[in-house]
Amino acid sequence: MSQVVRLTDRNFDQEVFQGKIPALVEFSASWCVPSQQQKPLLEELAKEYRGRLNIGELNVDQNPRVAAEYKIMGCPTFITFHSGKILQRRIGAQSKKQLIESIQSAINSH
Amino acid sequence: MENHNAECTCWNCPAIDLTGKVDFRSCGQSREVFSQGSIDDSEAHIVAECKRRPKLGLFDPMSVTFAECPEWKLTPYGYLLKDMRVMILGIDGYLGWTLALWLGSLGVKVTGVDNFSRRDWVKERGARTVVPISRMTERLHATKEVLGIDIEFRETDILNQRNLLREFIEEIKPEAIVHYGECPSPAYSMIDLDHATFVQRNNVLGTLGVLFMMRDLAPESSLIKLGTMGEYGTPLTGRPLFEGMFPADAVLHWEDQEWSLGGELTPRDPGSFYHVSKVQDTYNIYEACKYWWLRSYDVMQGVIYGVHTPQVAADPRLRTRLDIDEWFGTVINRFVTQAVIGFPLTLYGAGEQIRGFIGLEDAMQCMTRLIVHPPEPGQYDVVNQMSGFYSVRYLAETVARIASREFNLPVIIQRVENPRVESDIHPFKPIYNKLPARFGFKPKVTLEDEIYRTLELLTQPHVKERIEEKKHLILPRTWWSGLKKQVETLEVIEEIKYEPSSKTH
Repeated sequence: MSQVVRLTDRNFDQEVFQGKIPALVEFSASWCVPSQQQKPLLEELAKEYRGRLNIGELNVDQNPRVAAEYKIMGCPTFITFHSGKILQRRIGAQSKKQLIESIQSAINSH
Repeated sequence: MENHNAECTCWNCPAIDLTGKVDFRSCGQSREVFSQGSIDDSEAHIVAECKRRPKLGLFDPMSVTFAECPEWKLTPYGYLLKDMRVMILGIDGYLGWTLALWLGSLGVKVTGVDNFSRRDWVKERGARTVVPISRMTERLHATKEVLGIDIEFRETDILNQRNLLREFIEEIKPEAIVHYGECPSPAYSMIDLDHATFVQRNNVLGTLGVLFMMRDLAPESSLIKLGTMGEYGTPLTGRPLFEGMFPADAVLHWEDQEWSLGGELTPRDPGSFYHVSKVQDTYNIYEACKYWWLRSYDVMQGVIYGVHTPQVAADPRLRTRLDIDEWFGTVINRFVTQAVIGFPLTLYGAGEQIRGFIGLEDAMQCMTRLIVHPPEPGQYDVVNQMSGFYSVRYLAETVARIASREFNLPVIIQRVENPRVESDIHPFKPIYNKLPARFGFKPKVTLEDEIYRTLELLTQPHVKERIEEKKHLILPRTWWSGLKKQVETLEVIEEIKYEPSSKTH
């Protein structure tokens, strides 16, 4: 069972903004090889940070409204959110250390 | 994990046309629409139209799973699209013919092309398959008679008769294309300039044509393309041989900074001009997926061996070929052949070269699982298709042990000069998790079992006689350096040790 939430144009606001904990969202695409390679790492981190931070993935081609709203110019793009605000934005493949930095920063922000 | 593809949706399905806001953007490329702020949902979303059930109209491609769709039926290898149309390029070869019968027995509508070039290349070297095979007309007739399977075949050269292939693809509209239609021999590509040129032209440009045809005629079909573990080489650092691309947690450290290498193609170190052609294929397919949203699995197959599937063993007319010459014979098959006729098993150099291997039947299982689990639009992915890895010396000792104990054959092993430019002794750390973890692959046949089955077939008098007639073609004479001479023996190992120390996995 995947711990990474599949986000869509329909559930994005509810999943990302209505929780009490911060969220890390990967904006990904089927055709993007770096996006595909992030999956195992995101699963691992989603398990590790369960209850402290939610991790979700949004396919930009299937969900163009949210992709346009956040002006996604390349995949993968990682954005951390909390309380309706963007905390940090990283573009391109991210190492485990880099993702943990983003996650810790988001968790410490509240 | 038979249901590895149960959660796949119409997004993966080749029977779906995607319409609506389908664009062909590459990573990092902007879309004008972003500058306009919000967009109208009704025009923006990609929607699906089922070619098999057009009455459904337009719908969300993520809304129906394979498990829910009545067009996908459960088989031992996952859900399979009913009457799925699979075209095999190179259907007359060792793998192509075997896969055709395997898929046909599952209810797949198999079509295929070949120009019989493998038969011609082997004949050109003065060799022949030691397991007799029938002409294609007889093969097709026997397939119908014995297995009740219809296979539609066209004699076609995929490089020089592109118009014929184009017409066939347009007519069949294949839902998956398996590409075995290349020259598979390192040694053949190293004979001389003419052979190197031929192999690279045949393989690289033949495949390039297939990619353009898929773009124009069957973009929703998936391409399952045979590559080789040999693309990676054997780095002396022992760096893992990842499945095509680096994982996200592989990093580059440079000047106090860190970058993820995730998704970047790993370095390749091909070991012959044939291997170079496979590496070039990899880049061409990778680009085609990026430019045109084609979908492909690039299959880095370990060294193949064996003779058995239930279908090819069902009738002598259905057998697949088995080559033993230095150009087209693979190592385990060649060792078994040598054991059968009392010819010393030959190790090149130290004999400690380590390679990944997979048996014929397990390779068929893997290909089936890939076919039924199509990539997503634009997805390029790589699998390392192997079931274990062994040193060449360990393989020789294993063949010797089974041949002597089970078949009462006297076997000796000899080391000869290594005509190739390769490391005799090296670390080897292949990663081959995807097929078991994501596609449910479970190896079914052990190395020892398949060696036993191969010995059973090759010791039959009519096969043994054919081996004897061609045994002068077993020892290598094609030197990577360009030398023209047969290799010299370095050492004869008379005493077979049954507890080898060089097994690695």
